[in-house]
Amino acid sequence: MLILGIETATMQVGCAVGGHEGVLSSVHSAKGKRHAEQLVPSIQFACEQARVELAEIGLVAVDVGPGLFTGLRVGVATAKALAFSLKVPMIGVSSLDLLAFPVRFSNRLIVTAIDARRGELYYACYRQVPGGVQRITDLQIGSPDDLASELLASGEEVLLVGDGAQRHAESFEGLAKVELVDTGNSHPSAAARVELAHARALREEFERPDAIEPVYLRRPDAEINWSTRDGR
Amino acid sequence: MVDAPGDDRWTNAGSVVLGIETSCDETAAACVRGGGDVLSSVVSSQVDLHARYGGVVPEIASRAHNELIIPVTARALFEAGLDGEDVDAVAATTGPGLIGALLVGVSAAKALALAWDVPFISVNHLEAHLYAGFLEEPELKFPLVVLLVSGGHTMLVLMEDHGRYRLLGQTLDDAAGEAFDKVARFLGLGYPGGPAIDSVAMSGDPEAIRFPRSMMDDGLDFSFSGLKTSVVNHVRNNPSVSTEDVAASFQAAVVDVLVAKARRAAQQHGATALALGGGVAANSLLREQFLTACTEDGMHAFLPSRAMCTDNAAMIASAGWYRLRLDGPTSLDCGADPNLRLSTLPA
Repeated sequence: MLILGIETATMQVGCAVGGHEGVLSSVHSAKGKRHAEQLVPSIQFACEQARVELAEIGLVAVDVGPGLFTGLRVGVATAKALAFSLKVPMIGVSSLDLLAFPVRFSNRLIVTAIDARRGELYYACYRQVPGGVQRITDLQIGSPDDLASELLASGEEVLLVGDGAQRHAESFEGLAKVELVDTGNSHPSAAARVELAHARALREEFERPDAIEPVYLRRPDAEINWSTRDGR
Repeated sequence: MVDAPGDDRWTNAGSVVLGIETSCDETAAACVRGGGDVLSSVVSSQVDLHARYGGVVPEIASRAHNELIIPVTARALFEAGLDGEDVDAVAATTGPGLIGALLVGVSAAKALALAWDVPFISVNHLEAHLYAGFLEEPELKFPLVVLLVSGGHTMLVLMEDHGRYRLLGQTLDDAAGEAFDKVARFLGLGYPGGPAIDSVAMSGDPEAIRFPRSMMDDGLDFSFSGLKTSVVNHVRNNPSVSTEDVAASFQAAVVDVLVAKARRAAQQHGATALALGGGVAANSLLREQFLTACTEDGMHAFLPSRAMCTDNAAMIASAGWYRLRLDGPTSLDCGADPNLRLSTLPA
């Protein structure tokens, strides 16, 4: 089964085509807020390079976040429309899970952190398991200092990865047991998503297009303001 | 009709355009054949989600569009009795509107066009409102003047042909729909303000208070912020005034100016027809006076049904069919422009 992976949770726009033979092609670009402009041409290019017709795609795997709201919606709306029109199933994969996958060959605690803007991070913790990683916490949102305190309190050797960790590197500098992974792995990769989705596709963990929505972790400001006014 | 290169390559009387509209708080999809035959038009309004905030909240709108876009599109195809392979082109609103909301529709539409291997068409929301009037009455007569009145815009446009527009006048401050919303909020009538004032005004006296007719004798531009201030001042100075009378008198003042200027524009530019478009075109008094004026002036009236006045995707599909004929397909690296303007010729 051929899988199309779509990745728009961070500044990076990516897509990849692959299947049981591995990743056939992947396209990534990270030039500013141009998710909507770049994604569909990227998909066309990735298919051409893999010598695959879009109609041969049997599964659409999409990053459901957490991440940039508008970027996520571009990716999820595109993925849902493709799955709907090609009449194929979907698999949603979390951005934080995707980040952990390429750095799985480590006994350390793996922590992924994506920039949530407004001085906050989306983050989660992982352990290596045979064939991949297992998330051992919820997907969370908090300040870099919140995360630094948690890592310090855990007392564990930590591998920290993601554009959020890079952006707030100063918060983690003083932590002796924490190693920050370099920038090459700081965005979720579309290739990792195709690999992860392939494993889940073999287990037939499919989802319907209308069941897939972005994971926001943050409510719209208007709702927050509404619920806090008059002591509600 | 139009002699553009590649004229009938994609657009003929039988070709079906799927239109998608997500510029504000309605998620809409529609199938239209040959630019004017509406096979289906599905509109899912989010008005309930935004009502308690007294206006559209962009982030809430964008999230709702993302949830609704596929079910609404599927419904539009189902109601038209079509499958994906029967669609000849996909059109979406690329502006003006809320950027996060627009991008949901644009992204979905481009993906559908890619998967079905058909043209994608970028549609200007304002241009689509111009076309709403012809969906139910396809006999176009140029030149014609369109009065476009909505929550975001108030303008008079001379349509010389498909794609050839001249802006004759526009609001210098608030849009007419915005004035309705603000006055309704001030009077405690709730949101959205247009329908609220329309219904309350039914039991009021439109001549009870003589509110100013701003810029009535002054060109083809409009101004509504002074009227809004007059309403506020009048109610503050006369606390016991009947809300029904205020609503009716305010509505009469807006409609008088809109209709008078539309008539004048048509006369000045030798138009043989007048068309009404935009959300405020659903207002009962405006519809009534617009028809009366057209009858008196011997002018053909294009008055869309209420469903076609407010945001819908049938008008997007229709405008898309004509745009495809004029310009050919839009590139798939197209994004959205929240401040997109109607492309006009020099006045």
